[in-house]
Formats: sequence, C-alpha cells, structure tokens
Amino acid sequence: MEALELYTVDERDDLYTEELKLNLGPQHPSTHGVLRVELKMDGEIITASRCDIGYLHRCAEKIGENVSYLQFTPYTDRMDYLAACNNELAWSLAVEKLLGVEAPERAQWLRVIVCELNRIASHLIAFGTYGIDMGANTPFFYAFREREAVMALLERPSGARMLYNYVRPGGVAHDIDESWLSDVLAFCGEFEKRWAEYNQLLTTNRIFIGRTANVGVLPRDMALAWGCTGPVLRGSGVKWDLRRDVPYLWPYDEIEFDVPVGEGTHGTLGDCWDRYWVRMREMMESIRIIRQACARVPSGDFMDKAMVRMYKSPLKPGKGEVYMRCENPRGELGFYIVSDGGTSPLRCRARGPSFCNLSVLDALLPGCMIADGVAVIGSLDIVLGEVDR
Amino acid sequence: MNEDALHARLAAAVPGVGVLDSSVKDPFVVVEPGALVAALTFLRDDPACGMEMLHNVTAVERPEAMEVVYHVCSLSQHHSLTVKVRMPRPEGGTHDTWIPEVPSVAGVYASADWHEREQWDLLGVRFTGHPDLRRILLPPEWKGHPLRKDYVYPGEHGGIPLELDAVPLYERGSDEPPPEPHPPRPPGTPLVQPPAPFSSRPVAAGGRTAEPGAGGGEPH
Repeated sequence: MEALELYTVDERDDLYTEELKLNLGPQHPSTHGVLRVELKMDGEIITASRCDIGYLHRCAEKIGENVSYLQFTPYTDRMDYLAACNNELAWSLAVEKLLGVEAPERAQWLRVIVCELNRIASHLIAFGTYGIDMGANTPFFYAFREREAVMALLERPSGARMLYNYVRPGGVAHDIDESWLSDVLAFCGEFEKRWAEYNQLLTTNRIFIGRTANVGVLPRDMALAWGCTGPVLRGSGVKWDLRRDVPYLWPYDEIEFDVPVGEGTHGTLGDCWDRYWVRMREMMESIRIIRQACARVPSGDFMDKAMVRMYKSPLKPGKGEVYMRCENPRGELGFYIVSDGGTSPLRCRARGPSFCNLSVLDALLPGCMIADGVAVIGSLDIVLGEVDR
Repeated sequence: MNEDALHARLAAAVPGVGVLDSSVKDPFVVVEPGALVAALTFLRDDPACGMEMLHNVTAVERPEAMEVVYHVCSLSQHHSLTVKVRMPRPEGGTHDTWIPEVPSVAGVYASADWHEREQWDLLGVRFTGHPDLRRILLPPEWKGHPLRKDYVYPGEHGGIPLELDAVPLYERGSDEPPPEPHPPRPPGTPLVQPPAPFSSRPVAAGGRTAEPGAGGGEPH
C-alpha cells in the first residue's frame, strides 16, 4: 500500500494516453484473408472492435440466380475454398431435396469419404495457421505435408486439387479407381502417427497453452445466441453435430463416431484452446469415419440414372423451397433455394458458418490484449471467401 | 415436435400468427410484421419450443411481395421451424421507390444483427429498430440493392468502369436443341494416373526420401 501511494492523482494524469484507433488488416496475415477490424485501444487493451467485411464479395447469390442448378455447383466450391467437397455436398443435397432425387448407395458412401478427407485437410490448415498466429512456424509445414497427401488422394477421382466439383446433384461426378480405397486406408494409418506428432509439437506446448488457455472465452449461451456452429459451438461444450443429430447423409447414421466437445482442460470452458482441441480430435473422428466407410462402399452406380437423363437439359425443379443444412468443417452451411419453376433459382441463399462465427468477434474482443485478439480470430477459423461470398 | 405441433403452440400463444403452409418441402408459418418479435421471443423462451438459435435470415423478392424468412432451430429439442413475414408490393413498387420495413429481431437473437445488415445491403429491406443498420458487404457509398430483380448494374463505381453485361449467363431458346450430354466415365478408369501410395512416395532425386534409410543420393 505504501508503494502505491507514491503515485498521486496528478502524476497519473501525466501517464494518461490517448485512445488509439488501430486498423487490423485488411492485409494482415493474422486475419486469414481480407478482413479488416477497427480496434479502439487503451494501451494494449482492446476497448471496442468493429469488423469490416466484404473485401472478397463476389456476388455468389446473384450468380446463383442467373445460372442453372448444375452450373452453380462449382461456384459453391469457391465459397469455403478449403472445404470444397462439403460445400458441394450441401448444394447437391439441397437440389436433390428440391427435385425429390436420392443419390445411389455407392455415391452416398463416396461422399462421406471425400467430405471427411476434406474435413481433415481443412482442419490441418486451421491447425497449421493457428500455430503461425501464435508464433510457432514449424507445425504449419507438418500440416501441409499431410494436406498434400489428402489433396493427392482427392485429385484422383476429381481431377482437381482444391476446387473439386466432384459431388454433384444426383451422386458424384466420377467413379474411383481400383486402388483408391486402399490408398485412403494407407493414409489413415499414416495420419494417426503424424497426429501424435502434432500434439507433441503444438497441443501440449507450454507456450501455446499459455497463449490460448483462458483467452477469448465464449460461453455456451453467447455461442448459441450469435448462431455459432461447428467447432466454435462445440468448443463451448455444446454436443451438437448435424452428422450425429440430423444425419443429412444416411451413412452417418450407421457409422460410429464421437462428437468431441470442449471441456475446459487448461482453463475456462469455451476458450481458444478448447476450440483448437475440438478440431484436433475431430480429425481423428474423421479417420474413424473414413475407415468404416471404406469397408462399406458397395458396387453399383455412382450417379443416379434418372439424374443423368435430367442432365440432358437444364434442371427444372417445380415450384418450391428447401432449406438444407450440412456440417462443414467450420460449422453449419445452409442453402435456402426458392424455385419458381424455372431453370435457375428465384433465390439462392447461402448461410455460411464463417459469417456467423465471425459476427461474435466484436463481442469477444473488448477486454482482450491485442496479441490475444490475434489468438481469438485464429481460433474462430474463418474463411473470408465464405464470409463475403 | 413437428411443424404442426410447433405451429399450434405458437398460434395459441401469439396473436397474428397465420396458418402453416405445408405445400412446400419445408413447411413455413406466415406471421404479421407486428407479431414477429413476439413470435420469435415466444419460440425462444417457451421451454417446449426451446429455439435457442436463429440459424438464418433471408429475404426473397417475389413479383407480388417481399418475404423475409427466419429459420429457427432448437438444439435441445431437435426441431426447427421456418417463419416468414410477407410485405405486399405496392402498385409500381421498384427497388428505387419501395423499401419494405420489418421490425428487427436483433434484440431477440444476436445473430440477426449481421444477417439483417446483409439483407438490407443486398435486398433493401429496412429492419426498424436495428442497432446499426449499415451496409455490410458492399462499400458504404454503394447505390441500390443488387439482389433486387429490377436492379441495373452500374456502369462505373468510383471512377472504375464495370463491364458487366445484363444478359443472363444461362439462356437457351425453346427451339434450340439441348446440348449433347457429357458421357460419364466408365467405372474403373482413372482420370489421372494414380500416384504411388502415400507412405512410399518418392522424393526428388538427390533429396531425402520419406522413409529414412530407403535409398536416395547424397545431398549437394
């Protein structure tokens, strides 16, 4: 108490610093794309934040109203470009629901495999870039080594490395070659060993835990109110996964897998470390799903026969509207299609998970240190291509 | 609960709730604009409904009306409901003259904040009572609302010419024959040559191999 009294009120007035307005981004590596955050700073503490998005707006919904249903599939790849298969799946399922078509059994299981492979690739980027955000450059290169393997696997049936256009309304675009499934299984075995390395590198690193535990705590009710989904919601302890709770592909109903949720292992429930750890464990759950799915891929058609006939002219679903939700690596992607009976939708709405997950940022940042702000943005794992569409 | 039970519960508690339209794949309830906030508050707070999350807010412009669509879902009860507000188009209403107004639900669900800003930005629906109704995706000085059907692309923006033609990207006359379908690839034929399995992938000559001790020349 004695020491504190040395600072009189007058002397403290001299130490007063003006409120500083700081632009984080739009060209800043920690914002994972082109996101600008206006920050009001009191020293190193963030007192207010305001996100500015739209730098990557490409009018996807307007394009959707002007192209045919099939032509829009590759555009969905470019929303969340790190999880293209999952976006195609959501769009394909929405169109199938509108048309009343169901993909054949072989296509269903192939869809599960490619989507889970894509989920692993996407989470690997989240893992690698989060390490970079925290000042650990090495994990990024390890993550990209395994991601390269996933991309090589997905390239074989689809012909593309990132934007696959593989899952289409009615099934999948091409059949797999004979050795593909065994190569996928070989990858699974290899990946499990590598996953243990990641944890040694980053997950259990004391500095990393110090930077992420108790930082950016997102309570359960707040996550629900802001519409957060995916690992962000599960990091706050909500056991909700559309694959388990609303199986949009019936194979998910027949597969055994767990839904990892945050437990507050190193700090408060819903902190950055919890969100990170949910993603890490989801990769292993995806491996479990892939293993079971590979054993069950039946022979048969990979594309619905009626759909192939329909493709001879632009798809023309009758009047109607559907809302289809799918569990993407980043959360729930929803497509709302309103058809007036024409060859292109009257309204084609994409509800991106990154958009909603990012909207909570302005509520999370005040009170954080600026360095923790970077940790919070990274832990939300946004893709600006999907935020802006 | 299914949509029928949810609708019955909602209609009994909140006046101004219309009938359930089950003519489409996802049935929806049309609500009077004045009853919207009360309806969504009831859906959120009623323990039997338990709609914790507003999943999506959309507006749909139809020739006769503007519809604002709310998708709410419950994680604990495993059900969801689509709620709509319909505002009829006034005589000769265009995107310049007709800005429909709906009460904002940002006070009920925080997630509505950004969704409503986006619908205002792209479709020109004004959400009254919204705390901060600014454009979100387009620049603040942008004119008009591009997802309106009668929107005309500007010739330039900020001195930059925008060369966009107004022709729809996909249009075929009724007399034109349909295009030849792309033949599906026969099963089993690979599109590209399969690379070596992951665990034994060769590395460039002279470099390290994936598996230590499996050969490879001296590094330079």
